[in-house]
Amino acid sequence: MYAATALLLLLAMGMTLVRALRGPTVFDRILAVNMFGTSTVLMVSVVSFMHHVTDMTDIALIYALLSFTGTIAVLRFVEIDHERREMERAEQEREVLP
Amino acid sequence: MGVAIDIILLLFLLSIAFAACVTRNLFSAAMLFGIFSLISATLFVVLDAVDVAMTEAAVGTGVSTILILITLASTGYRVSPRPAGRQVLALAVSVVLGATMVYGTLDMPSLGSPDAPVHTHPIAQYYTEVSPVEMGIPNMVTPLLASYRGYDTLGETAVVFTAGIGVLALIGRRRRKDPLPIVEEFREGGANRHRVLRVISKQLIPPILLYACYVQAHGDFGPGGGFQAGVIFASGLMLFMLLFGVEHARRIIRPVVLEKLIALGLLIYGGVGLVNILQGGAFLDYRTLAHDPQHGLHYGILTIELGVGITVAAVITTIIYSFASHLRDHVMQRTLRLRQGADAAQTSPESGA
Repeated sequence: MYAATALLLLLAMGMTLVRALRGPTVFDRILAVNMFGTSTVLMVSVVSFMHHVTDMTDIALIYALLSFTGTIAVLRFVEIDHERREMERAEQEREVLP
Repeated sequence: MGVAIDIILLLFLLSIAFAACVTRNLFSAAMLFGIFSLISATLFVVLDAVDVAMTEAAVGTGVSTILILITLASTGYRVSPRPAGRQVLALAVSVVLGATMVYGTLDMPSLGSPDAPVHTHPIAQYYTEVSPVEMGIPNMVTPLLASYRGYDTLGETAVVFTAGIGVLALIGRRRRKDPLPIVEEFREGGANRHRVLRVISKQLIPPILLYACYVQAHGDFGPGGGFQAGVIFASGLMLFMLLFGVEHARRIIRPVVLEKLIALGLLIYGGVGLVNILQGGAFLDYRTLAHDPQHGLHYGILTIELGVGITVAAVITTIIYSFASHLRDHVMQRTLRLRQGADAAQTSPESGA
């Protein structure tokens, strides 16, 4: 039962991995990382039940709490980068004008 | 079944590592390393190395991603192609280094082999059989790190301390006396920006900090301890910094206080050792702390773990503050320069006419 669940989760992870590797846009990759984090939470829980070691659910909890922080960081980065590029474009336009 | 999971996860790991090497976009590489960390944590879990997995989980999700991204934001993330000659040289060096490492692993006993020194050496038997009785602590890793190898952990804490001091010395302290004026668009306190995220985060930060305290205190019974707890605590503070801005965060948790906390953690650790000497024991021999030696061990381990947690949390927060302030000053200076340029461009034609 747990084995089948683990295999299906691995399948889901593999499909997410393809999205992360192929892209093509930034947001595909961000979504892929986020999805992979969620799959990892599940995978860790399943493995912990397979091994009968409930301590491992603590790790799943860490991921559940912290992967949000990572995603916010990435999105803030994209935002800052976007602003910077806008500024650079404005600068170039001004240099061309006179 | 375990073997199948191992193989699939290792294949994932390999493909991610390869893709991260090949890509020219460092942002994609950073994303791929995020997945790399997730897979390696899963592998640690499969291998039953719960404490290592917990460290990887705590560091890999939040802190290391944030550090890499801040660096990329201040330096740019597109790699220009290098001349072919240097690429060949780099490849040769990597191949030789990798081959040496693989050659080194050939001497290691295979995974799970009963003849491995880990299983046959008397000290391992001592740790697994005597330590639970002597210490009365269910999680074997914690007394091993904090008591039997207490000197090592003291050294590791000193390394973390040194890292914090190093970053502070290089980019942490602001040299400029007058801080840059806050440009209105960059005012991170702008009320309507990221309102949904801010509300959600405000509800999420207390559980993260609470969970850090749980990990800190629960090290005796499950995976956890000072290192992991410090990182989780710092990640909670980082979430605040990401959404409310580094200036706001610096006003609430002041860098001056953090600098003192960095030293305080190490001081607590060393102080416990000194108290032990004054009580007539050896340095870091916690048994002298209470009448019952086992109680003394528990008090000692809890106290030094607290010291480790304080130092780690303060150092990581300081490092990320320094990086983020650096980036912010950079962006602000640029904005101001552009603004001045724009003003000059606007006024000059009029005055000419």
